[in-house]
Amino acid sequence: MIFIPELLLRLALWLLLAPLLPGIINKVKAWVAGRRGPPVLQLYYDLAKLWRKGVVMSQLASPGFIIGPAVAWTALLGAALLMPLGPAGGAVSFHGDVLLLIYLLALARFCTAWAAMETGSAFEGMGSAREVSYAVLAEAAIIAAVLSLIVHTGSVSLDTMLSPSAGAGAALLAAGLFLVLLAENCRVPFDDPNTHLELTMIHEAMILDHSGPPLAAILHGASLKLLLFSVLLVQAVLPVGELSPFASAGALAAGVLAVTVGVGLVESLLARLAFKRVPLLLITAFLLCLFALLVAWKGGAQ
Amino acid sequence: MTSGLLLLIAFLVLAAGIGIAFRLPAIWLALTVTGAGLFLLAALRVLLGGDIWEWHSAFLIGGEPLHLRLDGLSAWFLIVVSVVGGAGAVYSREYWSDENNPASAPQGRAWWSAFLISMGLVLTVSNGLHFLIAWELFAVCGYFLITLDRERSGVRAAGWLYLAASHAGTMCLFAFFALLAAHTGSWELGPVRDHPEIAPLFWLALCGFGVKAGFFPLHIWLPSAHANAPSHVSAIMSGVAIKMGIYGIIRFSGWLPVPPAAGWVVTGIGATSALLGIAFAFAQNDFKRLLAYCSVENIGVILIGVGIALLAVTHGDAPWGRLALAGALLHVWNHGAFKSLLFFGAGSVLHATGTREMSRLGGLSRTMPWTAGLFALAAIAVAGLPPLNGFVSEWLVYLGLFDVVTGRGAAAWIAMPAVILLVVAGALALASFAKAGAMIFLGASRTRPAAKAHECGRWMRGPMLALAAVCVMIGLAPILIWPALSCAVAAWRPVWLAVEPPAPLVTLGSVQIALASLVLLAAVWLWWKAHDNGLRRGLTWDCAYALPTARMQYTSASFAGIGTGWFRWVLQPVRKAHRPRGHFPAAALRLERIPETVLERLLGPVSLVILQAAAGARRLQHGRLQFYILYVVVGLIGVGILVLWGGAQ
Repeated sequence: MIFIPELLLRLALWLLLAPLLPGIINKVKAWVAGRRGPPVLQLYYDLAKLWRKGVVMSQLASPGFIIGPAVAWTALLGAALLMPLGPAGGAVSFHGDVLLLIYLLALARFCTAWAAMETGSAFEGMGSAREVSYAVLAEAAIIAAVLSLIVHTGSVSLDTMLSPSAGAGAALLAAGLFLVLLAENCRVPFDDPNTHLELTMIHEAMILDHSGPPLAAILHGASLKLLLFSVLLVQAVLPVGELSPFASAGALAAGVLAVTVGVGLVESLLARLAFKRVPLLLITAFLLCLFALLVAWKGGAQ
Repeated sequence: MTSGLLLLIAFLVLAAGIGIAFRLPAIWLALTVTGAGLFLLAALRVLLGGDIWEWHSAFLIGGEPLHLRLDGLSAWFLIVVSVVGGAGAVYSREYWSDENNPASAPQGRAWWSAFLISMGLVLTVSNGLHFLIAWELFAVCGYFLITLDRERSGVRAAGWLYLAASHAGTMCLFAFFALLAAHTGSWELGPVRDHPEIAPLFWLALCGFGVKAGFFPLHIWLPSAHANAPSHVSAIMSGVAIKMGIYGIIRFSGWLPVPPAAGWVVTGIGATSALLGIAFAFAQNDFKRLLAYCSVENIGVILIGVGIALLAVTHGDAPWGRLALAGALLHVWNHGAFKSLLFFGAGSVLHATGTREMSRLGGLSRTMPWTAGLFALAAIAVAGLPPLNGFVSEWLVYLGLFDVVTGRGAAAWIAMPAVILLVVAGALALASFAKAGAMIFLGASRTRPAAKAHECGRWMRGPMLALAAVCVMIGLAPILIWPALSCAVAAWRPVWLAVEPPAPLVTLGSVQIALASLVLLAAVWLWWKAHDNGLRRGLTWDCAYALPTARMQYTSASFAGIGTGWFRWVLQPVRKAHRPRGHFPAAALRLERIPETVLERLLGPVSLVILQAAAGARRLQHGRLQFYILYVVVGLIGVGILVLWGGAQ
């Protein structure tokens, strides 16, 4: 059984590397602002501490308050395992797995929103409403991007879809997917992870009441999602799957690092948008991916 | 026993149920469940045995010999009838009990049996004339079930609307079957492929059956009928009755030649229904109306699959047609299971609190944990999320669509928009059910009845658990139902028979099982860890506000505010607001209602014009004898002139 060690290695890679990304983003932001900033490993320390802490649960909440984050975290981990890693491919790969990936992200969203609504807090209601509504546009952009990859490669399986480069539409696709990454991971300019005003938050407003291990699961899940989207973006654009194992590992790592630094730079240089502009930006992302789809359609016709 | 014998016994048992529905409720229940079980057995024999049961009788009805037939396709739909019919009968024992509804409960039982019989007949008769009779019987039984609670004017209005819409559809079907009989020379139904000139009749069938299926914009009767009917009736209407419309569309598009545009139109209608149906659902504040509009969305998903299958037929039997049709048919089962479960859950909330208004509920998960848990499960299924059954069928439809796209034919130009609309509809379905679940079950109770809610009893919980088990089973082991599904697909188009399940479905099944076990494991682990670390109860952190009240929570309308804003062009919300003004503001008010746009903004004005024209014509009739004599004289002179003029030529 060669499958088990490979699966364990894959799990370790995703679980252990994911919390590094928010640390890098914060370091970049601190560097641009001329501060020293928190250590890169700060999220690891936070997670370890939260895992040992007790839980305060609202009097109104039912078990869904704790089960929700557990399901969401599992769904995100499942999605991560489906994501191919260069020539090694995904842990499981089958015709149509890309749809399972999208719907696992949706499952995570449903469970996070459900857990947030358990508390009966208006702020959490606000956060959930924004999260599920804006996700409609973000999903439209993702599926347009996926369709463009499907048209470009003629395959519906993530392994073969992501291994070549995106061809002529790569720049459009990269821009669109980068915007989706920012929106889905609640980064500036869609959401501000560092704000202290609950009225202006999306994701952070949903987790105001969480504490202890459930909060650790949510934070770790969020970092997994960020890594997942970065890996998706890099593989969609670069021909990672067609390189030799070492080169592809290097390309993947460099690509993810570049995306992370990019997120940090965007956060340092841009302000958060007014909420009524968020749909406009998401529709822009959708249109970019749609144009990538048209380019792929024309490109394959030769 | 042959499946035919089982079927005939089932009809007899159900008919006996009508007789004793008024006297012996317990025996009625036993008979109905037995009848439903026999339906199930007969259908399974056909689906797993693969043989078609046919029975030609010399017995004449309306001058036509009786001819019954049960093949893979009708057996597939018969299973939904039997499962939801049986579950609903058990559920109604407590939900619509004799103590609470002494007058309507016995009637409800009798009509329930008649409803099951009529649907069984619709699925088995193979004669155009008899089909129309069974169809009419089915529509009328539905009317009496919807209006069980006819003391309320809302129920009567919903019933009339249903009856009127239903007959508008039946009118199309009359024309369809009559023209069909005129062209083929007989009322007998069956595969007719050698008459290409009857292809345009498909449009009549699409309209006639479409009214019953309730796709956009023919869905006008559906929201009010589903919302006002008793919940077990809503469940069977939404889970089963509207599928009879789908059955009609699938049946006759398989038997008769269809016009080349059919696939394009059906896919387009499906995608439109999916998006607009769920947009209306998201905006609703009445949870039963929300569920009703969500049915419009699911009918859309089914129609996308059917449309792609029709396209495949015109594209040389492309393999993607089979996947899409399998997805559509599986979605018929799945929607039957999770939508009935949702309506049963809604019924148990309605039973406990007496309101359908989501903004008057909240916090029911503490007093009704079973209902809340089962509703959450059904919400995950209806939003098409893994690892439950809704995902499996939508995934098959998506696979069909994706394969169309990779084929790069002309059909890709309808498949790509359909994929995008389907994904958007899926995300909106998630939002709608996050809203419904949260408003009904989570947070603080907004009113006293909500705070005093009680859990439903075991007669209501049992059927809900059974349907939940169906949702989980189909989600985790889709391979088990593949033989039956393949038989149903082959009944539509024999060359599409595939005994082996497609390889991705096998993998998906194991991935779903792994996912479900991981989810369970993680939930238990986190639950244990939280308790092990010490769990304390506290006030909700409302930005450090120490006295939060239930009225400060987000309401249904505020949750849907962003999404409703995007669809204002079609939802056309009616707003009434008195803003607080001045230094000492008086009472302020804000009301918002989402009208049924097609009915109130389109059909309403048009019917008003017709009514006014009719009222104008009525002025001719006033009861004054002199004028009537004048009409006769004028008429005679007119006829005389006509005769003379005609004779002159």
